[in-house]
Amino acid sequence: MEYVRVHPQVREYEVFARKARAEALHLVGSVVAPDDDLARAYARATYDEERWVELVIVPKDALLTLWAPGEEGPDS
Amino acid sequence: MTPGTQPATGTQERFDALMKRGELIESPSEMTPDYLKELKHTLIVSGDTELISAPAYYLAARKAPSVNAFMTGIAIIQDELAHAHIAYHILEELGESQEALIFKRDPKSFRYPYAFDVPLESWTELVVANAMYDQAGFCLLGDIHHHCSYGPWKRGLVKVMAEENFHLRNGRNWCKRISQAGGAAREELQRAVDWMFPLTVEWFGLPDSLKQHNTQLDYRLKGLTNDQLRQQWLATVVPFMESIGVAVPAHQVDSHYELEYPFPCTFDAGSKRWNFKDACTWDDVLARWRARGPRNAEMVALFQESFKTFKVPG
Ligand SMILES: [Fe+2]
Ligand SMILES: [Fe+2]
Repeated sequence: MEYVRVHPQVREYEVFARKARAEALHLVGSVVAPDDDLARAYARATYDEERWVELVIVPKDALLTLWAPGEEGPDS
Repeated sequence: MTPGTQPATGTQERFDALMKRGELIESPSEMTPDYLKELKHTLIVSGDTELISAPAYYLAARKAPSVNAFMTGIAIIQDELAHAHIAYHILEELGESQEALIFKRDPKSFRYPYAFDVPLESWTELVVANAMYDQAGFCLLGDIHHHCSYGPWKRGLVKVMAEENFHLRNGRNWCKRISQAGGAAREELQRAVDWMFPLTVEWFGLPDSLKQHNTQLDYRLKGLTNDQLRQQWLATVVPFMESIGVAVPAHQVDSHYELEYPFPCTFDAGSKRWNFKDACTWDDVLARWRARGPRNAEMVALFQESFKTFKVPG
């Protein structure tokens, strides 16, 4: 069977963090996990390079892309 | 997405315009097939280097002098696995299979520097590796972080740079401590530097005089040449080693560093000895690299075999 990272038993989550209150959240990476609890654990263990003031994860399929780099936006 | 099918669908014209404006490339829809090929190659070298450092460091970390020291070693190994994951994950988004790259490749086809194939056999050798190999990684990845034209990789390297900085600080602290201890400990440190220093000098590859054309520079996958990066490494490692009383076969002349031995020259991996009286050619070096060194198969088996053992039948 061919390997696929994301399949019906697991989801991909994007990981967002910020170092200071004055900063905006930004994307620091992603994890793949079978449920939210494990996704939390993986994100905490993997993205431990800073003392973040905030760390959140979002299922990737919950992001609604209006346009991506190189695609037509309203101003282009 | 099925591995291996991600197409580079950018037009040459749009790709050239983005490169010319110094913009970041964000997805395969903006790449030419040749750029995609070169990017993947660069990512594989990076991922393989991070991955192999884990077993290489693990086999030496077992010799840690205390539980605390061992825990530091393990923390570094965990970082290296996360660094490997960043590179392989990007490769996956470019259509490669992570599983195939890590678990199904022949040991000899991994593309990491030869230095890791020579066994690190003591805590002293491990901390010298942190001070010199991680410094080499820091120079190479810092250059990619600074110049890389592929957005996802450039952003992923923020984490890697922060952690590499910790690895080399750990290496330097321990080298200093061992040197200050004096006696047999210090002699062991000097012996480790004696064989590991020239291996790291070699790490940066062919001299610019022999490497006429560099596609990675054209595509802004890196920004500095092999010799520029080698000089950057020498400019940090030579003064540091001198400051803690460890001799290295290089010295500063004006604004650059000169080696005090023929480069390249022959190395015997079994006895970990360089023969500075026996200069060789780069063809000889490339042949030694291609044949891989003593620990290649053992290190790859360390993660490939446990994968087979623990694989849950699909
Ligand atoms: Fe690393
Ligand atoms: Fe490292």
